[in-house]
Amino acid sequence: MNKIWLFFMLLSSAALADSKQPDAQYCLVCHGSAAQGNAAIKAPNLSILPDWYLRQQFVAFRNNWRGGAADDAHGKEMQAVANTMNNAEIEQAIAFIRRQAPVELSADLSGQADLQQGQKLYQQCQACHGANGEGNAQLHAPPLAGQHNWYLVQQLSAFKNGWRGSQSNDSYGQMMRQFAQSLPNDQAIADVVAYIDSLPLPNR
Amino acid sequence: MSNYFNAPLTRRQCLGLLAKAGSSSAVLGAAGIFGLTNAPVSASPVMLKPLQGKNRKVLILGAGISGLTAAYELERAGYSCKILEASHRIGGRVLTLRHGDFIDELGSPQICPFDDAPNLYFNAGAARIPAHHTGILHYCRTLGIELQLFSNHNKNCYTQDDAAFNGQPVRIREYEADMRGFIGELLAKSATAGATLDQPFDEQDLDKFIQFAQAYGDLDSNFTYRGTDRAGYAAGGVTSPAILKQPRPLPDLLRSDFCTGAMHFAEIADQAPALMTPSGGMDSIVKAFLRQLTTPIQLHCQVSNIQLQPHGVAVTYLKQGESYTEQADYCLNCIPAQLVSGIENNLPADYVAIMRQLGRGKLTKIGLQAKQRFWEQEDIYSGISWTKQDITQIWYPHHDAFKAKGILLGAYSWEPQISDRFAAMTHQQRLATAIAQGTKVHANYAQHIENGVSVCWQRMNHMLGCGAVWTEELQKTGFKLLQAPAGNHYLIGDQLSLHPGWQEGAVRSAWHALADIERREALRSTGAGA
Repeated sequence: MNKIWLFFMLLSSAALADSKQPDAQYCLVCHGSAAQGNAAIKAPNLSILPDWYLRQQFVAFRNNWRGGAADDAHGKEMQAVANTMNNAEIEQAIAFIRRQAPVELSADLSGQADLQQGQKLYQQCQACHGANGEGNAQLHAPPLAGQHNWYLVQQLSAFKNGWRGSQSNDSYGQMMRQFAQSLPNDQAIADVVAYIDSLPLPNR
Repeated sequence: MSNYFNAPLTRRQCLGLLAKAGSSSAVLGAAGIFGLTNAPVSASPVMLKPLQGKNRKVLILGAGISGLTAAYELERAGYSCKILEASHRIGGRVLTLRHGDFIDELGSPQICPFDDAPNLYFNAGAARIPAHHTGILHYCRTLGIELQLFSNHNKNCYTQDDAAFNGQPVRIREYEADMRGFIGELLAKSATAGATLDQPFDEQDLDKFIQFAQAYGDLDSNFTYRGTDRAGYAAGGVTSPAILKQPRPLPDLLRSDFCTGAMHFAEIADQAPALMTPSGGMDSIVKAFLRQLTTPIQLHCQVSNIQLQPHGVAVTYLKQGESYTEQADYCLNCIPAQLVSGIENNLPADYVAIMRQLGRGKLTKIGLQAKQRFWEQEDIYSGISWTKQDITQIWYPHHDAFKAKGILLGAYSWEPQISDRFAAMTHQQRLATAIAQGTKVHANYAQHIENGVSVCWQRMNHMLGCGAVWTEELQKTGFKLLQAPAGNHYLIGDQLSLHPGWQEGAVRSAWHALADIERREALRSTGAGA
């Protein structure tokens, strides 16, 4: 019998929870090895998101503004994690994501979307999210350019159906919900997301 | 009662009935967890030829059953291996929980609160081995693992359905005996009306068929079902005359969904008796591999990049924030496909596209520590009770009868919606739900339960799923592609088998990849020698 396995068994029983590691490497399990997101887990691209927005979303998950809806299984996954993190751990996670270089995703042109129509629809978005989808910290509007198109579709639908933006103290969410509701149907969502998808990645 | 079935049954209708029965078990099979209804054809264990002085390095990503199998076979043939494991432990979804074990569920980390005793363990992942899973049994045999019998079907357990019998639990023994009685009566009486069969059996066939129906249902000489001792006695039977239980009316039995589903669970190839399980917990298999292996296993190594190279593979991983890169001739990758799709790589796009389409298996298991083995007072030793509530099943330990305490399985669901509901709860809420629902099966359940663990596999760190979910369509278009190597990289694990969620799938996927590596090594040798 060799001793190596014994060593590892001891190591494993003494192991710290991965999720308590100070380097927050655990974020990458779901969000991808460069924080670029993962379609299979429905985890968004974090590498393009500024600190203030990440912090704001931790607040949203902990306040049940996100992940509160009964059928929002993906939102609930992140909410459960957010609820186990204290403020120091949240700041560590944000600092860890800050160290990841923004990952530009190649635009997905496979959908049946009307870019021109999308550009028209985007006019009402740009007041807050910027003409190039770069976001606006003063208005608490996140950057959109560089985000996965499936994630944008998912979130516009979530605002529309009230999974997000329907709680009275979530004022930014409520505002976004009004705009999402003005998109008449799935085609309009697909069009505006296709336009956002065509925007180049701005500087963070 | 006896007039229920006077309508004659033609042979065609009879066959139709049988086909329906077949399709209902096929539906069970398609539910994922149960595996396919076809038993896997046994395979000869892989036996790699020694490398004879050549240097070949293999990186194995993941220390579950497929990774351990690969390392064991490769190192015996002289390959130099290293296993990188992302989590804090070895074994993957072979997870036997005991006192003090850490359960790394994202958002719901737990420490196993069971008392520290050898009989108090819970197989939160793999739990049973059917006899035709010859791959994993090959290792049980060669590694000297002691096996015990495991029971999926115990007639003394209960079936509970709010829609039937006022929600009261009924012994499976009684339910099945009555159901078979009615079926036997139906068969016997319709066969007697043989004149209407459009293709009648001959006299001998008919006689035998009626005898079968009589034996199947335990009918009286008039082919009428009047109850049977198979259902258990209402009273007496040993030193005083037996009094049979009154048969429950067929319409009452039919109100329960037991007859259309769970009653046939142990007919499924992978779930049928006799099943086996290692003494002391399923992780005996993992420990046995580790006793043999000299291959180093590095824990906490989270893979961040996989690059195919002209003659090998480069793998980059993070270990406590530091990045390391290793090169190897081959890479055997057991990382769940849903996580590989988030790891930087230069794998072919069509290969990664299939991984993105694979579903994440959603399974929840709850283990409960009972301070008394109250089930033994109800004549239950091992087996499964069924309920239509979310907990779906209660398992009783097959081992250590009459000990002071025991670990029950308090819930096991493979329905994605049910598992989502458990995942959305806190750990304490999950336990409270398991106890509340279990109370419909055992009235004083709550007073016996001391503590518990809950494992939602779709939330477990470094896994995020249990058993890849292949749609029929994706299996047709993508399975062979994903099973084939991409350069010198092989994706393996139970995910690359038609038995996802079974150790057999993990072993056989490893053997499949190893056979291909050996074939390529043979080609390289002849190429070099020419």
